[in-house]
Amino acid sequence: MTIRVAIVDDHRLVREGLAKVLAATVDMEVVGACGLGSEAPALAAETKPDVLLLDIALPDMDGLDAIETVRNAAPVTRILMLSMHAEAEYAAAAVDRGASGLVGKDTSPELLADAIRAAAAGETLPVHGALTPRERDILPYIGQGLANDAIGEALGISEKTVAGHCERMMQKLDIHTRAGLVAYARRIGL
Amino acid sequence: MRGGSASKENEPIGTLSPFLSVVARHTIPIMTPTRVVLADDHVLVRSGVRALLLAAGMDVIAEAKDGRELLACVRELHPDIALVDLSMPLLDGFEAARRIPIVSPETRVIVLSMHHDPRYADRAGLLGVWAYITKDDAPDRLVDAIRRVATGERLLEPKQTAPETLSPREREVLQLIVEGKKNVEIADVMKRSVHTVRNHRARLMRKLGVRTAAELVAVADAQGLVCLAGPRGET
Repeated sequence: MTIRVAIVDDHRLVREGLAKVLAATVDMEVVGACGLGSEAPALAAETKPDVLLLDIALPDMDGLDAIETVRNAAPVTRILMLSMHAEAEYAAAAVDRGASGLVGKDTSPELLADAIRAAAAGETLPVHGALTPRERDILPYIGQGLANDAIGEALGISEKTVAGHCERMMQKLDIHTRAGLVAYARRIGL
Repeated sequence: MRGGSASKENEPIGTLSPFLSVVARHTIPIMTPTRVVLADDHVLVRSGVRALLLAAGMDVIAEAKDGRELLACVRELHPDIALVDLSMPLLDGFEAARRIPIVSPETRVIVLSMHHDPRYADRAGLLGVWAYITKDDAPDRLVDAIRRVATGERLLEPKQTAPETLSPREREVLQLIVEGKKNVEIADVMKRSVHTVRNHRARLMRKLGVRTAAELVAVADAQGLVCLAGPRGET
């Protein structure tokens, strides 16, 4: 059975390239594509795809916020988020809001096809390494380049507690230096 | 084994074997498909762009997932065009673009980036990049740019050389620090001693006026010295 796929990604080159790649996959058919989050519900309602690939970084709205509007417009459509990095932070939030999971753009076309098949079958992709709310509170301060004592002061907790949170985050995220953690914090821009 | 010459009279130019296309380069260069090396750290993006270029009759002879792999490909294959993403691990697109003419003078660099920041295009122009295309451009525009650059047309004006605050080596070290690498790992990637890496790091911190590695990353990102492209696009 052919899986009908639609794509929402603001980068035209990526969108059309991806469409070409998926169209060449035997059990898939690309039924539509658009570049804005605000266009996604209409696209989903008109084409009723089995799976909608939804980029998380859209110019007009947060891709995570588009999940709900798409679900309202096409309740049978499964939503698979696309992201530059498969950050667990976003994967957890996406699944919470009803998406089937999140796939990083550094995934191979074969693995993307597997994820699309799983989503079409109603499966939810596993999420690893999501941060706790407290860790999420601390992260923006880390992104500013602050030391643990300064962060502790800002949040009214001890330097030691901050250090413990940092250590656990680095373990979870497989980051081995403070500089790496600062870069991560700035990249995901909480 | 590059045989099959028996049927060469009947073969259309576009599907010449690699061996024959080398011959063709010198006799009918205009008919030779443009040889492109494609560098981007995202497999899905690479696969998509490759599919688009193949459909336009271009020859994607290699793909690279970071700047160092790209330099190795270019050094070996001497492509007509290197299509280069800016945010790449280990060595970013800027530094790769700066070095490509050194390892392969005949290769022309086109940047393919998601960044619209005019400072990035300016910096690319400064490095002698031939064209700057963004990922939300139409596929036709990319194909057109590759064709024009391949015939020698510059689409990006080479800018006046501005004084660079950081040396190329310092930029290299900075990127690897931002990627969360320790001194010994940086030394390994750059094939330099840990001592040298420490010196670069100290100079970097002095130049940017910071005391810790954490501040270094925050300041370098705020000044646009590194490409910290996140899942939400431009930073």
